[in-house]
Amino acid sequence: MSQSIHIEIDRLEGTLLRVLGLIERRGFHIDEIDLYDLGPDTRGLSVSVRPRDAGRNIDILGLQIDRLYGIKRLEQAPERAQTVRPNAEKLSA
Amino acid sequence: MPTNKPTGAQLVISTLKALGVDVLFGYPGGAIMPIYDALAGSGLRHILVRHEQGASFAADSYARATGRVGVCMATSGPGATNLITGIANAYMDSVPVVFITGQVATHLMGTDGFQEVDFLGLTLPVVKHSWLVRDAAQIPAILARAFAIAKEGRPGPVLVDIPKDVAASFVEASEMGELPAWTPAAPKADAIEAAKALIEQAKKPLLYIGGGVHMADADAEMRDFVERTGIPFVSTLKGLGTVSTYHDLHLGMLGMHGTRAGNMAVQETDLLIAVGARFDDRATGKLSAFAPHAKVIHFDIDPAEFHKNRRADVAILGDLKQALPALRPTMPDISDWVKLNKANKWQHRFKYDAPGKGVYAPALLKSLSEKAGKKFIVACDVGQHQMWVAQHCEFEQNRAHLTSGGSGAMGYGLPAGMGAKLGLPDHHVVTVSGDGSFMMNIQEMATLRRYGINLKIVLLDNSSLGLVRQWQELFYEENYSEIDLSDNPDFVEVAKAFGLSAFRITQRHEVEGAIDRLLAADAPTLLHVLIDPRENVWPLVPPGASNAEMMEERWDEPIDSY
Repeated sequence: MSQSIHIEIDRLEGTLLRVLGLIERRGFHIDEIDLYDLGPDTRGLSVSVRPRDAGRNIDILGLQIDRLYGIKRLEQAPERAQTVRPNAEKLSA
Repeated sequence: MPTNKPTGAQLVISTLKALGVDVLFGYPGGAIMPIYDALAGSGLRHILVRHEQGASFAADSYARATGRVGVCMATSGPGATNLITGIANAYMDSVPVVFITGQVATHLMGTDGFQEVDFLGLTLPVVKHSWLVRDAAQIPAILARAFAIAKEGRPGPVLVDIPKDVAASFVEASEMGELPAWTPAAPKADAIEAAKALIEQAKKPLLYIGGGVHMADADAEMRDFVERTGIPFVSTLKGLGTVSTYHDLHLGMLGMHGTRAGNMAVQETDLLIAVGARFDDRATGKLSAFAPHAKVIHFDIDPAEFHKNRRADVAILGDLKQALPALRPTMPDISDWVKLNKANKWQHRFKYDAPGKGVYAPALLKSLSEKAGKKFIVACDVGQHQMWVAQHCEFEQNRAHLTSGGSGAMGYGLPAGMGAKLGLPDHHVVTVSGDGSFMMNIQEMATLRRYGINLKIVLLDNSSLGLVRQWQELFYEENYSEIDLSDNPDFVEVAKAFGLSAFRITQRHEVEGAIDRLLAADAPTLLHVLIDPRENVWPLVPPGASNAEMMEERWDEPIDSY
């Protein structure tokens, strides 16, 4: 079962790759990605992830993403089968 | 055209000076030439190493030994990639180092230009943060932020990659600007109360002290906590020395090569108090069997460490300097538990009366640390000697045990000793290395000679990759594969060729005199010690096993001299 993470990230070089690389390195498949505009300095990123084994915890993954620089906001959605693009306006508010 | 405007490179140098940098380690090359041009005559002390990896490790150990941010520079392409092991090393052990690399000019980036690599991309997984600088005017602000990020919270390496044209361009002078002040999180009162309650109910509490304590500069608070509570403690590899290893309640290192008393205490405890430790697999052994009867209190500055490997019953996020003094339990009677641990410590103490006439490395190392005294700092390499240092050396001060813990990078020892000695010149800094590791950065003896860095080197030579050989002996049915180094060069002659003093011992009766001679030397000196290649590190928890399943020393045969 995939779980989705919604992240607001800055537009600096490397931030997007830093997040995606971390997700894979920490033991998660990336099933879907959606990148969208949230204003001049901010992008929204929704990632649908699936753990590679039972030992991987999405809450820990969230904390590992959150400690990266360039992350403005992060929220995790409950487990679900389909990725739903969040309301960009709501996220940027 | 003449101009009074500074270049980006000049801003690099002026900003480093403004940030209080007094020494940096590096190696020049094409893409970083503007910065080295600005460095000349700047007053900054630059240590020219003989390989970029040496610079990375030296900057790392300078930071570990002094508590300041280490600084390292290299050029693009191979110069930069030679830093990667050092960057990963600093990342794994949470060491604050700022790496400044040259990059090819921006118009060449992405064209497979000469000495071009995507260094920002290559290092993404092993840096705390990184920048590719596109605008020279941002250099002061970026460098200042890099220093702050390297040091704040859980420390780590930060990369600043600067294209050659950016470094060479003239800009309006800019300043670092005001940085947002970072204040370490204060521990939550309810978490402190919950921890207090657990300790007051515990019958067999045990402290598990990690490297995070001295990274937080909370050694005094940790020592005070031990004295106030009387709780026995085990240390991780990086936690050794946070509280003196001579302390009555010190049960030694835990884990794969931990002490029997330490590992027995972990197996028996009903309350494990982890302080700045991350439940690393070398410490825990089989995770499901680690501290099986214990509730866990976990102190850390990094919330991502909580519950990562072991679920904590109480997680205390925040600055240890505040959290430890805030925790003031009324201690229950744990006298039987303390007595049991002290008895185990005595019963399973290391013995140094190995049969034979050959040099017994553990005894040599114990004596070395005792003779060097309170100002002893050891910079280790990686292998059997590293574990012997952890088991047998005594450490009375924090930041005295510099070792590549998480990364386990062979080649760390010599440049690390160099960096530590430059940072703390009044200390007895000794590199303890093995013949495998030493060859990996042997060229840095030239750096010792050039700058007259009075580092002492103990080279324990068993003519093999000892720890690999030990595992092949024990776990691969003695199928020895590619571990023989019996064609090593004559290390004494090599050291002399680099301009160092050097001498060799082969017999046990020579040890004490050799240590005295080494410590008294007023120039960089190498002590080459030939040891029995069959000697192993004991105790040992087999990989994947519980810490309760320790294999022990077998002195079936005498220790031979070689």
